[in-house]
Amino acid sequence: MNGSRDPQDDMEKEKLESLLIDFIDGKLSEEERKTVEQELVRNAEAFTLYEQLKEVIQAMNNASRLEPSDHLKVSFDKMLQEEMGKQQTGKTVFFRPSLYRVAAAVLLLVLGGGIGFWISKQQQQATELARMKEEMDRTKQLLIGMLDNQNSASQRVEGATVAYKSVVKADDEIVNALVKAMNDDPNTNVRMAALEALRKFQHQPYVRKMLVASLSTQKDPMVQIALIRLMVEMKEKGVTEELQRITTEEGVLPAVKDEAHIGLMRLS
Amino acid sequence: MIMEAVKNGDLQQASTLFERYNKRIFNFLARLAMDRALAEDLTQNVFLRIIKYRGSYKEGARFQSWIYQVARNVFSDHYQAHKNKYSDFVDVEKLKDNMPETEDEPWEEKEKLLHRSMAMLPDEQRELLVLTRFQHMKYEEVAQIMNTTVANIKVKVHRAVAKLREHYFELEKN
Repeated sequence: MNGSRDPQDDMEKEKLESLLIDFIDGKLSEEERKTVEQELVRNAEAFTLYEQLKEVIQAMNNASRLEPSDHLKVSFDKMLQEEMGKQQTGKTVFFRPSLYRVAAAVLLLVLGGGIGFWISKQQQQATELARMKEEMDRTKQLLIGMLDNQNSASQRVEGATVAYKSVVKADDEIVNALVKAMNDDPNTNVRMAALEALRKFQHQPYVRKMLVASLSTQKDPMVQIALIRLMVEMKEKGVTEELQRITTEEGVLPAVKDEAHIGLMRLS
Repeated sequence: MIMEAVKNGDLQQASTLFERYNKRIFNFLARLAMDRALAEDLTQNVFLRIIKYRGSYKEGARFQSWIYQVARNVFSDHYQAHKNKYSDFVDVEKLKDNMPETEDEPWEEKEKLLHRSMAMLPDEQRELLVLTRFQHMKYEEVAQIMNTTVANIKVKVHRAVAKLREHYFELEKN
């Protein structure tokens, strides 16, 4: 039927089809409609084309609607819940009848107001705590870095001073850094500053233990004297033996021995 | 309005969108893919994308146009991904397996004929007929969805109808 037509005829046919489709769709002007009607009466081939176009168009218009299976709804609900879970807004209960939904919404609104207020309070506190902790961590890293500065004794003194002034409760990391400075730092001022900082934390058991231990290894007379005074202040009776040793040991400065005698008197 | 709520984080509202559009989108995809089971999977993907990419929804835009655009993308992505598995035309003989009529909706002979002739059209023509004829969408909206002019859509739809007529009466003869 359409194999042997030339392009001119094809164009004519397309024009006619287009006109007929608009005619079927009721989209032509009054004048155009009359022209088409006349053509249909006159031209049998055009009429057949019209009949066939009308049939397929009506078939499409009237085609049955396809129903998805229940599975679609089920998997949608599952997916939605997963996505809501990812959203991290907590769990949501699904209520089907809208009355429940409204009731639940009102209840949630009331509860939410109260809880929201409470949460925001909690969050404020938590934020404040987090901020403080962050600041403490920064201070800690700063002072440990300063105590470890091999090139500047004044920086190391400053580090011990920061520990003394800013740290409320020293953790093991800070204590160890201070003890290391007190025992091993080549500069007396640093050793003294570290001891002064540790003195502030003398009530922490670990600090106390490290101070006592330092007494037996300490070679710096300045630090030795300060340590003995601190032991007296701390009423640390466990060091009397060590003090005895200092009073008799050779090579120990007389000032240190005197301090050890005073200490022994006070502690016994 | 509902989509704006979803965009702003109220995902529960997506249920309402699902209720309103799932059948339309399913019908569109089922007629386009000519495969019901696949159409269900693709419909699910459409709603997943709508939730996932809710941020890309332009506020004030017509939601229906947007969801159809998403559906078209899901469909074309599926066929891009399965390029080697499917040929360009639908195997008419296999359609019986993929689009079985359910018991409560027995297809008449005419509808089967229509279905088979639809399968013989290229995707683009089939899509235009599904939107404008099966789903009764206006040329203006289809033009918006496909990002082209109304005149262009009209010409293409008319050609698709004419082509469908040819296949339909060819098949009827046999």
